[in-house]
Amino acid sequence: MSVRVRSLKPWLFLFPAAFIYMAVVLVPSLNTLVLSLFKWNGASPVMIFVGWDNYVKLFTEDTVFKLALTNTLLWTIASVLILTALALLMAMLLNQKIKGRLAFRSIFYFPSILSAVVVAITWRWMYHPQGLINGFLGLFGVGDNAPAWLAEPRSAMESVFVTSLWFGLGQPLVLFLAGLQTIARDPHEAAIIDGANAWQRFSRITIPMLRETLIIVLATVFVNGMRVYDLIFAMTGGGPAESTQVLSTWMYFQTFTFANVGVGAAISWILIAISMVVIIPYVRYTTKKSEQ
Amino acid sequence: MAQSPSPTFGRAASRFATYAVLVLGSILFLVPVFYVLMTALKSRHDLASMPFFALPPSLHFENFPKAWTDGSLGTYIGNSALISVVKVPLGVLVEALAAFALTRMDLKGAVTIFMVFLVGMMIPMQATLVPLNVFLNNPGIIFVYIGFGIPFGILILRGFFRTIPKELDEAAVIDGCGDGQRFLKVILPLAKPAVAALFILDFLSTWNEFLLAQIFLTKDSMKTITTGLMTFVGQHLTDYTLLNAGVVLSMIPSIVVYMVFQKQFVSGIAGAVKG
Repeated sequence: MSVRVRSLKPWLFLFPAAFIYMAVVLVPSLNTLVLSLFKWNGASPVMIFVGWDNYVKLFTEDTVFKLALTNTLLWTIASVLILTALALLMAMLLNQKIKGRLAFRSIFYFPSILSAVVVAITWRWMYHPQGLINGFLGLFGVGDNAPAWLAEPRSAMESVFVTSLWFGLGQPLVLFLAGLQTIARDPHEAAIIDGANAWQRFSRITIPMLRETLIIVLATVFVNGMRVYDLIFAMTGGGPAESTQVLSTWMYFQTFTFANVGVGAAISWILIAISMVVIIPYVRYTTKKSEQ
Repeated sequence: MAQSPSPTFGRAASRFATYAVLVLGSILFLVPVFYVLMTALKSRHDLASMPFFALPPSLHFENFPKAWTDGSLGTYIGNSALISVVKVPLGVLVEALAAFALTRMDLKGAVTIFMVFLVGMMIPMQATLVPLNVFLNNPGIIFVYIGFGIPFGILILRGFFRTIPKELDEAAVIDGCGDGQRFLKVILPLAKPAVAALFILDFLSTWNEFLLAQIFLTKDSMKTITTGLMTFVGQHLTDYTLLNAGVVLSMIPSIVVYMVFQKQFVSGIAGAVKG
């Protein structure tokens, strides 16, 4: 009898977290998968089963969806390449014996503690036609030809992306710094004696030894990129002319503004499906590593 | 060293380049905040009549109390504080209990269960909103906040708990400690750095949360500092001095927490690497 009681006890400890997690994360997201097969306005008692219709229509008829999908993918690829490279570069600069190291690190990390709304309002003011950026450009005589940044489809997405670099650099930077500090100096010194140049040392020693950190950074930057929402919503609301719509904002508008709950649900599951391509290998890697 | 004609010169040049990049980068990072602060301290007349880079001729601190009352920032900050104060300790507690079960108890399938929790880190909140509509303007929303923090919390705490030597558990068991005592008196005190780090990170993400508040806390009296600020911005679209004063005020709590707990931040984020 006592053996059986003991084997139940771990479940008691697990229960609160497991229950809350299932009730507000797992079950609702599966429920949304079911909703994506229906045509429903969210309020009416009538739900019409339409099968895969919502998905088919998104890919064939909804031009904003296609733009949002392209934007999401481009945003994610750009984040993975540019944000990661920038963070690694800054981390390597900061990983030397330099004066004011902590101050520099605090400055680069600082924007990450702010809310996306605060960042968005700050940068809306920076990008304002009478704001600091165009004022600065005006000093060089290009003020009149300067774009209106967030107000024009041709520059809005790029402008928001630049803000996201300012906002998002801190976390990968600190992760890389922590990773770099675990690398011993000996291999570098040995390589210098053997005549390896800086690039060879970077590509043959630093990168392989940073592998674990690199995987974590790439996974988090990827996930954050796929589901970017707050910053875009607060900076442009998806405009001008839908030019900055991404999957998560378009899902919001379809569901809560146009009351196409089934369509919104389908968009969120398309987002999940794309994310899984990277996430499943990542979760398997993380758990396998912890088994060793 | 053979490739460089003068090693000392090369080293000095690379040091100079390092500092140049870091200083330039820092300026770029600080300018937006400085600009917001400058704007908040100007009068509307100064803002309209002077070049963008001009420092305010006199400091207009009156923008701050005006933004505070016009924007009901006190209410919004109070709501965010209330949510954080309930959510963070409760969340960390259930996460610690689960991490304890996953690492220090005889639990079958612990790895699989951990994997199921990890998957949650990747589920976008958007995918859960419609089925959760019972929480519209309902205090029960706190459980949704907790739920979305669980995967990250378990990742961090489980990673840390695993580094605590098993011998300590064995000693505690010999001393007659039950599971509850082992959790409270042995593991939790030893995991203090990880718990502290999680507290801070969790506080900030709760404080800065936007989507849940936007969808579920729509009543003006229930808005948080993020959604409340958006409302404030909507009402004062062109009153830039007032708007920027509001932004400065809503930055302050985060800045204070950051300055006080900077150490825990860095160790907390770094702890995630070791997982």
